[in-house]
This record gives sequence, structure tokens and C-alpha cells, in this order.
Amino acid sequence: MMELFALGLFAATCGFLLLGYPVAYTLAGTALVFAVIGNLFGVFDFALLGALIPQIFGRMTNPVLIAVPLFVFMGVMLERSEVAEDLLETMGRLFGRLPGGLGIAVTVVGALLAASTGIVGATVVTMGLLSLPVMLKRGYDPKLASGAICAAGTLGQIIPPSIVLVLLGEVLSSSYQQAQLKRGIFSPETVSVGDLFAGALLPGLLLVGLYLAYQVFMAWWRPASSPAIAADDGADAVRGLMPVARVLLPPVALIVAVLGSILGGIATPTEAAAVGAVGAGLLAARRLDPSARPAVRVAVLSMVALIVLTSFVDLRPGRQDISLIGKICIGVAVVLSLSLTWGTVVSFVRLGRAAILGDVVRATLSVTSMVFVILIGAALFALVFRGLGGDDIVHRFLHGLPGGVIGATIVVMAVMFVLGFFLDFIEIIYVVVPIVAPPLLLLGVDPVWLGILIAVNLQTSFLTPPFGFALFYLRGIAPPEVRTQDIYRGVAPFVVIQLVALVVLALVPGLALWLPKLLYG
Amino acid sequence: MAQDNQALDTARVFIDRINAGIGRTVAWAAMALVAVQFVAVVLRYVFGIGWIWVEESIVYLHASVFMAGAAYTLLQDGHVRVDIFYRDADEIGRARVDLFGTIFFLWPVSALILIKGWPYVAGSWAILEGSPETSGIPAVFVLKSLILVFAATMMLQGISMAASALMVLRKAGMAR
Repeated sequence: MMELFALGLFAATCGFLLLGYPVAYTLAGTALVFAVIGNLFGVFDFALLGALIPQIFGRMTNPVLIAVPLFVFMGVMLERSEVAEDLLETMGRLFGRLPGGLGIAVTVVGALLAASTGIVGATVVTMGLLSLPVMLKRGYDPKLASGAICAAGTLGQIIPPSIVLVLLGEVLSSSYQQAQLKRGIFSPETVSVGDLFAGALLPGLLLVGLYLAYQVFMAWWRPASSPAIAADDGADAVRGLMPVARVLLPPVALIVAVLGSILGGIATPTEAAAVGAVGAGLLAARRLDPSARPAVRVAVLSMVALIVLTSFVDLRPGRQDISLIGKICIGVAVVLSLSLTWGTVVSFVRLGRAAILGDVVRATLSVTSMVFVILIGAALFALVFRGLGGDDIVHRFLHGLPGGVIGATIVVMAVMFVLGFFLDFIEIIYVVVPIVAPPLLLLGVDPVWLGILIAVNLQTSFLTPPFGFALFYLRGIAPPEVRTQDIYRGVAPFVVIQLVALVVLALVPGLALWLPKLLYG
Repeated sequence: MAQDNQALDTARVFIDRINAGIGRTVAWAAMALVAVQFVAVVLRYVFGIGWIWVEESIVYLHASVFMAGAAYTLLQDGHVRVDIFYRDADEIGRARVDLFGTIFFLWPVSALILIKGWPYVAGSWAILEGSPETSGIPAVFVLKSLILVFAATMMLQGISMAASALMVLRKAGMAR
């Protein structure tokens, strides 16, 4: 009886989701309806729902999740301020002279931008709007062009620091603790967002490498599919390396600094994200308002000077017996902090005057609310599903599968792949992962490996015709002469690449596990 | 009928204005969040200073962004939908989905959060619950109140959504 309710809840939720009402409320609302009916039939204890409120409060105060709005802020800022646009344009000029060059530029920029967004839609739309018209104008095969853009747009999920990896890390860490407690390990090992970032780096770069290899191959095998920009096209010529460096270096430095400080274990993802958000604001001010450049320069130089100073001198004013030099250094640091503050405030005020800051904060608010309302909806769904014994059903099913761990992992991945057709990453992380991860982890699957496998799997799902999310987004902005068939056929080789990477990752877990082990022991 | 539509429209406009005001204001908490977290990083890594109240104010700002901003996001249609069918549906089809979802999903869930959240928040107010840390911000009861703000503004925005949907359906002569 109870099991019937649990399965019914799952089926009804899938059905109602297709209606198209906001996912968070469909999840929570369907669960609530089943809780009420289940209560009438005596299979659900309504008192269980009392746990919802403390759970909401728990999510409001979870320190790990603070990284989400900060990364969103950083990504939206880079996108709205056209820093991303410049990046794509410059890369295009840099590689454009080579056969397949524009496609290569799209992939590289996708990988770089990936670092700051992680929401499929935004990246695909930005890159599609910017590069698809250019590629078509230069005689690219629409199939290859759309495939390259869709694939590059989904890199944001796997290449750290991505928001979905933050969320996935948070969910996996609690699943992992649960699984270890069940095994009787009472001082459980933990898995952190940093572990997941480190684990995702090599597989992400592998994907970028494979995308590039495929495009180079196509340029050689079917030169007409991706022609080089003609040499006499003077407008697009690169005049020396300086302009390129000027556009390219700052965003790259920012991303490397943010990622490096997380992977190096220097800063938490939240701290690094705050620096990234401020850095993105400085880049935006420099891009949009030439008169803000001195202030930006002051802020950046002060920041660099502070980093240098603090790595050589102990600047804590609270410690005992500070020497005269120490006191002078602390004084210098205070002055530097003030000039950093001045430069940053001036830059952001300029952004406010350019009316861009308001847009950015409102977009940040929307995306952040969207994410957290799903967390709240998923919390209610999980309470009811668990209360109806749904957990046990999944658990027994996965443990009873032939093939043990391997069989169970394959089934979970297949289910997620299909769910990826109509659910976004965040919903899957918060609805599906908490249900299927503990049984898998109980069977001895490594949490980091599982996380990366999930990420690459979902990324593949988002690329797979006819339901892949990325394809819809590109369809939405592609000119009508690009047929939907072209998009489907163009993305197919990239789906094959994804599947190859997935199999390699499944067979060689070291690909995901080597770097975290090296960094964190 | 025309009069009813008038009333619905007035309610919708009124609610939208409230939630837009809240959203546009609280969006700046996202800016404050970036600023305070950045300052906290500089204080910690350069001067080795970590104040608990700074850490806690970051949590307060973070929670207000999405708890008070959720209704604004709904107003902007910023909550993800599975839009395989919704995308291609006409105005009437969408209005039906919105009306159905608001009545059976959004309102009951908001009501549940209000009902279960009320004693939780009231209990916190009764003792003016402070931070578990001595030097923390003594206003956990305010933070917890955001749960009720969230549920109430969502319920209101649901009324606006339902009103728009009803007007569409009436116009099409379907809702009698």
C-alpha cells in the first residue's frame, strides 16, 4: 500500500511536471497532495512534515551555498558587461585565420566562461547570439557550427568552478555521511566542493581536448565545413599581440585566480567567489567606462600589492611583540586596503551609473531564488517520498540488481540520462541524487567519481536530440535558415564524444580521482 | 463580468507592484553580499581578523536575497518550468496550467509553510532568539521570520498569477 503511494507519487510528479508549472511548486505540491491522501489512508504520518521548516532554515543558513549567488553575480556581470563578447571576438580573430579557427575559438571561450556560469541556457544563448551569425557568414557548415556552440555551452557544468558542482558537492557530502553512518562508520570521511572541483578539472579538460580534436579533424577532412577567414579581410586582422593580450589576459587571470585559490586549498569556494564577483565588476567597469580605468587600476594594483605583502609579512595586528617594520607593514596594508576600497567603490558606482549594476543584481536575485526555491520544493518532495518508504524501494531495487555495483551505477546513470531530458541539473541534484546516491555509496562507489560521472552524464543528456536543453536554447536564437535537423545532426558527433568520455571515465576512475588525491591527500 | 475583471486586474496590479518593490529593493542585498563577503576575505587573509557578526551578516544577506526575492522571481517568470509542452501552448493553454498549478500546488504549499512555520517563528520571537555565538547577531528571530515572508509573498504572487490566468480564460469565454 505504502509502496504503491511512493511509486504513484513519482509517476504523478513526472506527469504534472510536463504541464509546465514551475518545477519547484509542482514537486512540492504533488508531494503535498499525496501526503494528504496518504494520511487519510493511514500510510503517511502528517507530523513528518513538521521537519520541513527546520530544513528550510538549514538551507537558508548553509554556508556552502553562499557561493551560489556570488558565482551567479560573477557570471552575469561578465556576460552583461560584454567582457564575454570581447573574449569571443578576440579569440575568433586570433584563431580565425586557421581552418576551423572560429569553432576552436568558440570551444575555448566556452571552457573559459564555463568557469563563471554553469547554467546551460545562459552560455548557449550568449555564445549562440555572438558566434553563430559570424560562423554562418564565414561559410561554416550550419551543422558543425551549431554542434560546436551547443557543446561548448554545456562545458559550464563540468568545468569548475561551476554552480552545479557546488550544489552537487553539498548534496553528495550529506549522502556520503549518511551512507557511512549506515555502514557503522561514526567518524565519517567527508567530501567537499573543493574535492569535486579538483575531480572535475581533468575530465573537463579531456572533453575540451576531444572537442578541439574533432574540429581540427573536420577542418582537415572537410575543409569546406569550417573555412578560415580570408587573409584579405582586413577588418578582422589582428594587429600585434598587445590588443589581444589586453582583452584576453584580465578575464583569464581572474578565472585562474579564483579556481587556483580553491584548488590550492587557500580559500573556500565562497571566499574565492566573492573575489571573483568583485573582480568581474572591475573588469566590467574597465570595459564599459573608460573614465573608470584609473580607479580600476588602483583597485587591482592595491589588491596585488596586498597579496604580495601578506605572503611575506605577518600582518595580524592582534599578535604579540610586533617589530617596528611589522608595524610599518601593517600601516602600509591598511593604506592599501583603503585604496582598494576606494578603487572598487568608484568602479561599482560607475557601473551603477551605466545602469548595468541594477540589471546584474536583479538577475542574480532571480537566478538565486530560482535555485533555492527548487531546494525548498525538493525538500518537501523528499520528506513525503521518504515518509512513504520510497527510499527503501529504491535502495532494495538498486541492491538487488544483477551485476552489483556496476549494474546499479549503470541503471542510475541511465535513469538520470532520461530525466535530464526534462529536468534541469539543479532539480536532478536535489530530487534524484539524495535518493539514489546513498545506496550507491553504500555499495562502495567513490563519491567524487560518482559526482563527476553524474555531471558528464547530465551534460551529455542536455546535448542529446531531440530533448536536450542546450538544443532548445540554440533553436530559440538560431536564424531560421539553420534547420532543426541541422542542429540535431551537428550535435550528434559531440554526443558521441561525450559518450566516449563517459566510458573512459567509468573505466579509469583515476581521471577524476587523481587530482583531488594529489591536492588533498 | 467586466466589473469582476476590473477587480481582478486591480488586485493583480497591486500585488505585482508590492512584489516588484520588494524584489527590486532586496536585489541590492546581493550587492551587499558581494561587498561584505569580499571585505571579510580581505580582513581574514590580510589581517587575520574574523568577526562572527560579519560572517553572520553574510548569512542574513544571503537568505534575504532568495527568501524575499522568490515572489519577484515568480513575477518575472524566472522559476524554471519543464516547457516541452508549455513552450508551444497558446495563451489559453498556459493560463489553464497557471491557474491549475496555483490552486493545487502553490497555494497549498505556501499554506503548509505558513501553518507549520508560524509556531516555529513565534517560538523564536517569544524568546527573542539570538545567535548561538556570543558575539553573533542577536536577531535569529528576524532571520526565521523570512520563512513566513517567503510563504506570504508567494501566496500573494499566486493570487496575481491566478487573476491574470482567469482574465485570459474569461476573455476567451472559457471560464463560466
